[in-house]
Amino acid sequence: MTATETRPPERPRHKPSAEARSWAFMRLSGLLLLFFALVHFAITHIVNDVVETDYDFVAERWHNPAWRVFDWMLLVLALSHGLNGLRWIVDDYVRTPRRNRAVKGLLYGLTAVLAVVGTITIVIFPSAPR
Amino acid sequence: MSRAESTRYRGKAGQWAFVGHRVSGFLVFLFLLLHIVDVSLLRWPDTYDQVHQLYGNVLLRLFEVGLLFALLFHSFNGLRIVAIDFFPDAVRNQERLLQAVVALTLLAGIPGGIVIMWPFIEGRIL
Repeated sequence: MTATETRPPERPRHKPSAEARSWAFMRLSGLLLLFFALVHFAITHIVNDVVETDYDFVAERWHNPAWRVFDWMLLVLALSHGLNGLRWIVDDYVRTPRRNRAVKGLLYGLTAVLAVVGTITIVIFPSAPR
Repeated sequence: MSRAESTRYRGKAGQWAFVGHRVSGFLVFLFLLLHIVDVSLLRWPDTYDQVHQLYGNVLLRLFEVGLLFALLFHSFNGLRIVAIDFFPDAVRNQERLLQAVVALTLLAGIPGGIVIMWPFIEGRIL
């Protein structure tokens, strides 16, 4: 994030490195999130008041599988974009190799658990009203 | 290179944009973690509804406004970064681009914030 603001990384000559891919991924996922995250926020906080978005509201929306796909895309994109951003932050501030590994391990573990929890939430939600 | 120097470059506007991008991204990620947990309560509809009502109180509404500003800044500044990456000449106008980012964040954030706070402004909730 730092260096790219003023100095784009060198163009990959042959095979793009892992970091070049990570750089490209942040641009692509970021642009997609611009759509997914802002539409999601507008629906749940601006068009509808937050207290209206209760269980029945979710049930009505998730009755349509397209919204489940939309929300799952948002979940996966936001978690991976955030995870990669946090990985950069950890590399910037946690300099001892052992601690760096420990913090990243914790971060990856937590993110993986939440990705699973979020996916289960969307998948097991009943399609019939309660 | 000391730790403080390692994340500082050239100072001024670009440095503030970098700090803002990092802090807003970090805060949105923290909210995302919390949000995945609260949505997982859908498994228990009544518990979900009870917990969800909390988001309607004034403190958490202010928190939502904060989330909106973090999201907007991160989005617009992200576009600024992409613009500079793909059109390197844009770096000459990067300071003006940052001003546009801040202006757009306020332009979208203030009306959005008013909508979120409306029940409080109307005096319906405390």
